[in-house]
Amino acid sequence: MSKLQIITKGIIKENPTFSLVLGMCPTIGVTSSAINGMGMGVATMAVLIMSNMAIAMIKNVVPDKVRIPAFIVVIASFVTIIEMLMQAYVPALYASLGVFIPLIVVNCIILGRAEAFASKNSVWDSALDGVGIGLGFTLSLTVIGAVREVLGSGAIFGYTFAEGVMPLLFILAPGGFLVLGYLMVMFNKIAKR
Amino acid sequence: MKSSLKNMVLVLLLISTITAFLVALVNDLTKEAIAESITKTKNEAKFAVLSTSASEAYIAADTTRVIGDFNINVSTVARSDDNTIIGYAVEAPSITKNGYADRIVLMVGFKEEGDATVINAVEVLSQKETPGLGANMTKEGNSLERSILGINPAELTFAVTKEGGSFDALTGSTISSRAYANAVETAYAGYLWATGRLNTEAAVETATGSTVQSDSNLL
Repeated sequence: MSKLQIITKGIIKENPTFSLVLGMCPTIGVTSSAINGMGMGVATMAVLIMSNMAIAMIKNVVPDKVRIPAFIVVIASFVTIIEMLMQAYVPALYASLGVFIPLIVVNCIILGRAEAFASKNSVWDSALDGVGIGLGFTLSLTVIGAVREVLGSGAIFGYTFAEGVMPLLFILAPGGFLVLGYLMVMFNKIAKR
Repeated sequence: MKSSLKNMVLVLLLISTITAFLVALVNDLTKEAIAESITKTKNEAKFAVLSTSASEAYIAADTTRVIGDFNINVSTVARSDDNTIIGYAVEAPSITKNGYADRIVLMVGFKEEGDATVINAVEVLSQKETPGLGANMTKEGNSLERSILGINPAELTFAVTKEGGSFDALTGSTISSRAYANAVETAYAGYLWATGRLNTEAAVETATGSTVQSDSNLL
């Protein structure tokens, strides 16, 4: 598999949201607007790249039977460290992305990629996998968020174009499931061609 | 790598020790900076809710009242050049009503114009409400803030309009709006308390349930 393919497969063939159907909790939870979806995606991508690299580095010294607890401890510490550093030195970024950070620890995409890819591949390839999957996740969440924002609050990226006439349903969780379902159908229909 | 009891125990122990050490190290390094940035945000909010800034005003007095597990912090903000009091910035949580996810903490600015007190501005210090719904309370010019700005809090009824109150609820977020109203009520009680217009028992009673309507009797 070429280096470029590692990245592109994360966007289409192994798209974490529409194809692997991983990380559904943050997907439904944060995609009530496009900018929130994008924020969660970017924060996840940053953690994913670094956790993939860390896992790929330690994969040879971790015994098979305890790999899951070992990975979880590494990932959780990683996320905690990033959260503290962000809060201390880039408070503006923390104010906008901070709410998503604790959600990332329990995001199964991170553990899923550690298990399925990083524990079997080189450090460099694992970083690329993080980029690809992260981009796929960011794009998916942004699209879902944009659709929900347009339908639910009559706005896009915070710019309101229709005030108070849109169905609130799309901001709430049931609307999130509806949008996710229909987008998944469309995505798979197009991707299979 | 093949697992044996020895290497499993050893590796897990090693990983936990190293990561725990790293987390503790980073915590130590960032503790001060984090506390500083939180204080800075709060201080900026204190000036912002009174439409001033740290360059023209200073905090003349700072008192904290404790009700059960909750703190109500009242800061007296004064003008730097002539030391006149601009108003009071009160940091208060919602006490009797939670938001959808957690308590809501507001910074409310009270200004005194003649005999009357008016609410100058409100800033949300912390909330975990639903993005796109309750979280809209952080947006500028939201319906909650709009419905109480420039109004004497003594004339407010601390509930949402559909329950006979003065607060225009955010669309689809009655629970968040109730908590917001409650936090403003707590802030008002804190303000009355700090300025000596409400005795301790009455303030506790106010902040933990009954309305603040009776404050004029205590003046």
